[in-house]
Amino acid sequence: MGGSGSRLSKELLIEYQDLTFLTKQEILLAHKRFCELLSPEHRSTEESLQARVSIQQILSIPELKANPFKERICRVFSTSPTRDSMSFEDFLDFLSVFSDTATPEIKSHYAFRIFDFDDDGTLNREDLSQLVNCLTGEGEDTRLSASEMKQLIDNILEESDIDRDGTINLSEFQHVISRSPDFASSFKIVL
Amino acid sequence: MKPSKASQRYRSNRRNASQSYFYQDSLRFSNSDDSFNADEAGDSNDPEQIFQNIQFQKDLMANIRCRPWPMGQKLRVLRRAKEVVLKFEGRLTRTRGYQAAGAELWRKLARLACNFVVIFIPWEMRIKKIESHFGSGVASYFIFLRWLFGINIVLTIMTGAFIVIPELIAGQPFGSTASKTIPKEHVASAQDLDTVWSLGGYLQYSVLFYGYYGRERRIGRAGYRLPLAYFLVGMAVFAYSFIILLKKMAKNSRMSLASASNENYTFCWRVFCAWDYLIGNPEAAESKTAAIVNSIREAILEEQEKKKNKNLAVTICLRIIANILVLLSLAGSIYLIYFVVDRSQKLEQSKKELTLWEKNEVSVVVSLVTMLAPSAFDLIAALEMYHPRTTLRFQLARVLVLYLGNLYSLIIALLDKVNSMNIEEAAQKNNTHRWVDTTTFFATRTALEGKWSTPRPGLGLQRNSTWVLEEAGAPTLVMPLTEANRTTLHTQSVQDQCWETYVGQEMLKLSIIDMLFTVASILLIDFFRGLVVRYLSDYWCWDLESTFPEYGEFKIAENVLHLVYNQGMIWMGAFFSPCLPAFNVLKLIGLMYLRSWAVLTCNVPHQQVFRASRSNNFYLSMLLFMLFLCMLPTIFAIVRYKPSVNCGPFSGQEKIYDIVSETIESDFPTWFGTVVGYISSPVVILPAVLLLFMLIYYLQSIARSLKLSNHQLKMQIQNARSEDKKKVAQMVEARIQTQEGSTKRLPKDSDIDIVSHPSSARSITPQNNGNVVNLDSPSSKGDRIETITQPMPQSPGAGHRSLGSPLPGVSTSRQEQNPHRYPCGPSASTGDIHGNRSFTPMTFKEHLENIHSEPLFRKYFQQSNPHLHRPGTSVFMARGPHPHTSKYYVTNERDFHKKSHPAFWPERPPRRDASGDVVAMYSRNVRRYVPWPPCQAHSPQLSEEEEEMLRRDWSKKSLHPLSLTDLRWAPHFYVGEMSGSQSLAPEGQSRRHCKSWNDGFEGPLDRPMYVHKKPRPRHAQHPRHPLKARAKPRFEPSLTESDSMSAASSSDQQNSSTDQYLQVIHRQARMPRSAGHLGRRKAKSRQNLSDLVCSNV
Repeated sequence: MGGSGSRLSKELLIEYQDLTFLTKQEILLAHKRFCELLSPEHRSTEESLQARVSIQQILSIPELKANPFKERICRVFSTSPTRDSMSFEDFLDFLSVFSDTATPEIKSHYAFRIFDFDDDGTLNREDLSQLVNCLTGEGEDTRLSASEMKQLIDNILEESDIDRDGTINLSEFQHVISRSPDFASSFKIVL
Repeated sequence: MKPSKASQRYRSNRRNASQSYFYQDSLRFSNSDDSFNADEAGDSNDPEQIFQNIQFQKDLMANIRCRPWPMGQKLRVLRRAKEVVLKFEGRLTRTRGYQAAGAELWRKLARLACNFVVIFIPWEMRIKKIESHFGSGVASYFIFLRWLFGINIVLTIMTGAFIVIPELIAGQPFGSTASKTIPKEHVASAQDLDTVWSLGGYLQYSVLFYGYYGRERRIGRAGYRLPLAYFLVGMAVFAYSFIILLKKMAKNSRMSLASASNENYTFCWRVFCAWDYLIGNPEAAESKTAAIVNSIREAILEEQEKKKNKNLAVTICLRIIANILVLLSLAGSIYLIYFVVDRSQKLEQSKKELTLWEKNEVSVVVSLVTMLAPSAFDLIAALEMYHPRTTLRFQLARVLVLYLGNLYSLIIALLDKVNSMNIEEAAQKNNTHRWVDTTTFFATRTALEGKWSTPRPGLGLQRNSTWVLEEAGAPTLVMPLTEANRTTLHTQSVQDQCWETYVGQEMLKLSIIDMLFTVASILLIDFFRGLVVRYLSDYWCWDLESTFPEYGEFKIAENVLHLVYNQGMIWMGAFFSPCLPAFNVLKLIGLMYLRSWAVLTCNVPHQQVFRASRSNNFYLSMLLFMLFLCMLPTIFAIVRYKPSVNCGPFSGQEKIYDIVSETIESDFPTWFGTVVGYISSPVVILPAVLLLFMLIYYLQSIARSLKLSNHQLKMQIQNARSEDKKKVAQMVEARIQTQEGSTKRLPKDSDIDIVSHPSSARSITPQNNGNVVNLDSPSSKGDRIETITQPMPQSPGAGHRSLGSPLPGVSTSRQEQNPHRYPCGPSASTGDIHGNRSFTPMTFKEHLENIHSEPLFRKYFQQSNPHLHRPGTSVFMARGPHPHTSKYYVTNERDFHKKSHPAFWPERPPRRDASGDVVAMYSRNVRRYVPWPPCQAHSPQLSEEEEEMLRRDWSKKSLHPLSLTDLRWAPHFYVGEMSGSQSLAPEGQSRRHCKSWNDGFEGPLDRPMYVHKKPRPRHAQHPRHPLKARAKPRFEPSLTESDSMSAASSSDQQNSSTDQYLQVIHRQARMPRSAGHLGRRKAKSRQNLSDLVCSNV
């Protein structure tokens, strides 16, 4: 198992380093972890680069297990037409965006996409309420009541919706996020 | 050259644009990128262009990771870019090739080094693991610990390399002098455990402490100045710590500068930035969720009722009580420490043999206080009922005060003791002096000793030191002369009086005991509690895990404070115990492993979220505060107290810092001494201080003004944004109207329109408006963009030529192209050129501006469009002589173009098609008024000049009779020109004029005038595929409209004339369309138009 990582060709590794914010070790580790998700007969390097892993498997990795946005994350990073599987490159993209060194811009860009539940390019009220529900979980006592939710969303829109169109678009979102001191340090996932 | 620049601009444009693009676009967009690269790769020969191209590709490669594209696409782009670079780099000069190769090599090396360094970052994986379990807050503690570890390593190296190792290698060996020898009566107990434990015995007389270091000014063969080095290193420790701390703080504050000012996004942050994505542990996730819910609810509550005034009196009373309690406990702890130090001192004096407890009670008490008091504060804080964050801050402040109080009371007590020791020593000195005097032998010896030994009764210390030296040198001589009893007494008292060693011992002891207590508390409070809770929970009568003992929390703030406190001890003691940093390194390593183990096994994260980044500078500022306060006592001791007479590198001096002046005097040339003397005189120092004050004041005022300008800029941004918003809102309204209108007008197209709706809806967003939207539209984006972009690199004329080239026999000049086909050819073609020419400069300018500019391309194309459509319509024209119908043809032409065009003009390139028809519609009405053929080939120039030229042309050529088509053709253009030129002076007016004109024509439909822009480029590009082209134009209208709107708004100053021109043309172009449905109106409008033309002329 341990050897599988080192079988990535040198050129490919260099290219991946160019294209991601990951170091060589991290890429190799990512590849190793990715291969562990594949069935044993597909673990050769070539196949592992081609193979796609279903979202369910990706969701099972411990780093994502507890994340309330795990489905969204997978869907955003998946390039398959049905958005239900990830290739190794998608996986690398995902790790790159969530790595230490990724720029705040790209982080906030992807955060926006993750929060954009209906993929329509803006965060509208439904997106926001879904987002809050994800954060608070499904428990009876933790879930916000309808009035609380309304108040919350009103406040959020009031703060961030610069053009007052009732939705938050990417630039508004990035504007807000870029002011946040915590975002870049918490929007991270480390293998 | 020009094309390349244009393309560059366009590219940079695109690059900017791509960042704000919607992600859906990015993929398609990059397709265009690819094709762009490809065609770019094909046609450049100019080295400058190649260079720019390569530069661009390199930029692309450097920044590609910052683009939000999927990996496959990035890979493609990267490979292509590399290919291009590889392919073209060879064509450039060789040096550039070498440069590139060197850069490549350097990059590789850097990456290798980067990869290599990662391996050596200590505990990286461990910290990441913790981070992924407990989030960034807990990890920040460990990162802070690691950073402190780094500092301590440097301090250790400094003291080790410059003090400890030279002393060990070149200094006098152990036992050679009195200060390096264990006194006789202690030798027996020197290896006892309790002696070692209290750092006595061998440890006391080792390199660990100040007292061991020799007083020789130079040691070893190389003449290493150990005392000087000792002093300088002692200062350098502080200097280095200050510098590194301030540097780090500056870096942090630079990063958090943006966030520092306005805290007005509380809700957004609580939701968008709430989740810590590093959390992978379900338990941690649960508590995090709870924390988030709490914070959200809190925020909502706060919002709902800003302040609850209920029970205010009770709360205030409670708070007062709490504060009193805290103050009491602070005072108590300080008194306790002082008392303990005092007691131990007395005990030492009164008792010969001290018990283990008595020896260590100071450090034990201090450690106990530092451990217990924070918990007490915690309990007290519960009384206060503050907001949790406020509670945390209070708690931190109190704990910090406590720690500082402890350290200070300890050091003050110690210094007090030192003071009394000095007095005692002085008393003893007199004693010794007398004693020495009695022994004539010693007296003579001392007289021989030179300068120190001149017997001065007042300064006992000097006598004392000489005495010690002699005693060490010739103990055999002393023995016979004095009673053994007396000698031992003296030796002991003399050696014990090394107060620096004593302070160092206490500090080291404190540090050790602190370490033990930390370990004990981790084991007891965290580990065993965790064990008990986990395994006894099932058998207990209540739920241990969730109610009373629970699992230990990892209290980040307290733990960080503990680290700060620990570091403070090190700084305080480092001067007196050079090995303290080394010890601290070991301690930190142990702490790192123990803590990380404890956190991973038996802790749950703190409920109160204490975020890493927000706290970073907070930790550091506490550390800085600590450093400053810990430096004070040391400096005070150095400045205030006399160094011990019998031990240490500075023995025999009046003050420790005398070593510097002494060295300057004796070892530097005299001029240096005088210079230093001047520099240190008040004459220099006072002005220097004044200067510093002035500098501080100046910098502060600069900072203030910067803050002000920062504020103003922020306001400006807000204003700009609100203006943007207004524009966007207007556009949205307009679009909605348009869409309503267009659906009414073109029912059959409605389905396509609908397709375009969602995408057009996106253009609402202020930053992504215009072309973004455009790109968004569902179908074959790549193609479309290509069509837009392609003409760009080429000069407009060239582009035109390429369009025109399909015509047979048109090889040489454009004017001549046409004659072959049309009688009117020359004029028409020049007209073409004029049209294009006059606009192209604008377009290029536009590129510079921003995304909005793109629509101008369309304008550009648009102009050519009329020509494209002419032929088809002109055919009709012949049949339909009515002015009405001629207009109709324009529309028809378009619709009809798709279907009929191939059939009608199979051999003819469609680019010419429009000319006839547009002209036609005018020909009837306008012919008489406008008989000008703009037939001369005007050498293409800048737009305005051309306009003028054109105008002149009109006046000149108006007499020339031309064929129908020509005439018709010409007015069409001139209408635009007319309005443009007419309105040159007051652009706003002219604008309005145009608009009102539009309104007049067709009230509700006025916006859609832009609608037709888009289709044309399509025609221009794909003349051969009319059907396909057809299909596209249809669903575009709303989009293009918005584009051009934005273009107009953004570029109106420069291009007002063009805009108008366009508008006019569009008007004409689109009227026909509406004409199909609203024949009447159209007719009227046409009438107006012609009237207008007339009046203009």
